[in-house]
Amino acid sequence: MSENPYQTYDARILEVKDLTSREKLFTLRFLDPEVEAKFDFKPGQFVIVDIRGFGEFPISICSSPTRKGYFQLCIRKVGRMTKFVHKMNEGDVVGIRGPYGNGFPMEKMEGSNLILVAGGLGMAPLRSVLWYAIDTGKYENVWLLYGTKAYEDILFRDEIIHLLKHGEAMNCSVKLAYEVESPSCIYLEQGFSDRVCKGVVTDLFRGEEFDVNNTYALICGPPVMYKFVIRELLDRKLSPGRIYMTLERRMRCGVGKCGHCVVGTSVSMKYICQDGPVFTYWDALSTRGLI
Amino acid sequence: MRYIKLPSENFGKFFKSLGEWGTLYAPVKKGDIYSFQEVHDPAEIALDYTRTMLPPKKFFFRPKEAILRLKNGRWEEEIEAEPTVLFGLHSCDIHGLKILDKVYLNEPADPYYKSRREKTLIIGISCMPDEYCFCKSLGTHFAMEGFDLFLHELPDGWLVRIGSVRGHEMAWENSELFEEVTDEDLANFKEFEEKRAKAFQKELPQEGLADMLDLAYNSPVWKKYAEVCLACGNCNMVCPTCRCYEVCDSWMDAYSSVRERRYDSCFMENHGLVAGGHNFRPTRLDRFRHRYYCKSYFDPTAGYNCVGCGRCDEFCPAKIEHVKVLEEVRGSLQ
Ligand SMILES: Cc1cc2nc3c(=O)[nH]c(=O)nc-3n(C[C@H](O)[C@H](O)[C@H](O)COP(=O)(O)OP(=O)(O)OC[C@H]3O[C@@H](n4cnc5c(N)ncnc54)[C@H](O)[C@@H]3O)c2cc1C
Ligand code: SF4
Ligand code: SF4
Ligand code: FES
Repeated sequence: MSENPYQTYDARILEVKDLTSREKLFTLRFLDPEVEAKFDFKPGQFVIVDIRGFGEFPISICSSPTRKGYFQLCIRKVGRMTKFVHKMNEGDVVGIRGPYGNGFPMEKMEGSNLILVAGGLGMAPLRSVLWYAIDTGKYENVWLLYGTKAYEDILFRDEIIHLLKHGEAMNCSVKLAYEVESPSCIYLEQGFSDRVCKGVVTDLFRGEEFDVNNTYALICGPPVMYKFVIRELLDRKLSPGRIYMTLERRMRCGVGKCGHCVVGTSVSMKYICQDGPVFTYWDALSTRGLI
Repeated sequence: MRYIKLPSENFGKFFKSLGEWGTLYAPVKKGDIYSFQEVHDPAEIALDYTRTMLPPKKFFFRPKEAILRLKNGRWEEEIEAEPTVLFGLHSCDIHGLKILDKVYLNEPADPYYKSRREKTLIIGISCMPDEYCFCKSLGTHFAMEGFDLFLHELPDGWLVRIGSVRGHEMAWENSELFEEVTDEDLANFKEFEEKRAKAFQKELPQEGLADMLDLAYNSPVWKKYAEVCLACGNCNMVCPTCRCYEVCDSWMDAYSSVRERRYDSCFMENHGLVAGGHNFRPTRLDRFRHRYYCKSYFDPTAGYNCVGCGRCDEFCPAKIEHVKVLEEVRGSLQ
């Protein structure tokens, strides 16, 4: 393999699936079996997708490392490059480098409860954690609290509904909050009145009790969400060290060179790409501008 | 350290011999501006220069460079590093390179920077501060490493410190040009350094600086200066330790494309922009403050991200003074 950290490796798109009108799920595998064999990652890590001749962009891996032979990216169409990938089909090839970042400390959290708090596209990296936890069975209980705009925006809708129905058998309980009312939402709410409601993700904390000494919270969502979710968790006396969040910044290199993802002040500076993108709330308290 | 003496009359010969080690660059004066240029003759160089506009980082981290070329659907790397001799770096610039090393040589190393760094010999030269310099406050006014040879001015020549094996080799192969250092030379060296230490006009007090600045996050002083700042990004371009870059792909023809990177500036509005149009540093105040925090960050292994070279002051069209901003911010903390 090349020593050049900016070199990317061919990966074939095995499948493209529409998740919503804006997001597609791409299932990929490296062409070179050697690269494929070496590629391993942790939930919470990301890769850089390379559309040769057009540019690169960072995307979280949304599949679980427990499922071998492929990896998945959930990509929202927001601009030039993501529009371009959205036009790609099964069989097309993209460049990939990574995985980058620290990922969630899955081993450290073994035996504990996990509360996954996802807002919108934040579901993508947390899906990796979710399936990792279910597949390995090494965690007490897994709660997924998922806030979405509307029924049509629910990412991985089939999986979410499946877990609403059968999650208990896997020690997994899913709760869903939607903002825009629609017949489909009301239907869901009628079926799972204790777990689906109109509101924002923090509403899902209502009535929820958990053992603060044996629970970790993992958060991913739009920038505005963090403050509110963290307040809910701190109100319940969860230690800042048990609150993990994964953050986003503009990224060019992914390996601590280009300076785009740097945050902080004279006493503490962090690279989101290398020191993160997963941080604890202690980090947020000591590094200004992190959230 | 090994110390030897280069008498004035041998300087020309020594300088010419440097060309054998690689393409030779040295400070040259053009109009009012100094810059590192390719030279062949000692008469071309400005030995008593203050500071070049672009720091020596341009030799390792280029203002614009191709990093990958797409050929037949595959990226091929584009590394061209030739043996180079950089003559006449001041101590602060040598420290500046050490800070860039921390970023670019850290794993995974940047192969472009690394190969150029490995192929380049660094020869330092002593200097006298002008009104912009404040390297002494930051401890970057004297280089203990990061060079192959360092020349200190003496009344009748140069006291040469040898800082690397390659430096030893250069001295070895030209041994007929050098002499042993005498007690008189040492006295002259000491006198020069003492005179130099007294010549600094600007000082940046260090006591608790990093914390004071952090505590003064909401100081009105940031705002005052952010309003004066033109957000031109000059200070980033000329800073020996600024190294943000942007990447862009462009097509050469239907089959080949090139991936280029170029200097970027944290003063540009899109520096902190992410998907969905959210900007983490939306105002000029946020961006102005960010640069000062970044420069004042203290890394226990490499020191501050500022080496006190004074370039940002000299080349700021709004005449914003780095030390003055930091002092005022600290002062505003009651
Ligand atoms: C660690 C990390 C994980 C991410 N995971 C996902 C994911 O799982 N799914 C997903 O859909 N998106 C994810 N993103 C966001 C994704 O990188 C951007 O949506 C993408 O870069 C936009 O590229 P574009 O060319 O389509 O947009 P552009 O046309 O370049 O611009 C559209 C918007 O995206 C911003 N943008 C451009 N480049 C970047 C960049 N490198 N990083 C962040 N914002 C940028 C622009 O400032 C603008 O606001 C992640 C970002 C990071 C940093
Ligand atoms: S050079 Fe001066 S005016 Fe230009 S961005 Fe820097 S501080 Fe602002
Ligand atoms: S911040 Fe200014 S004084 Fe400090 S190293 Fe950069 S250009 Fe020189
Ligand atoms: S993405 Fe380049 S430094 Fe983090």
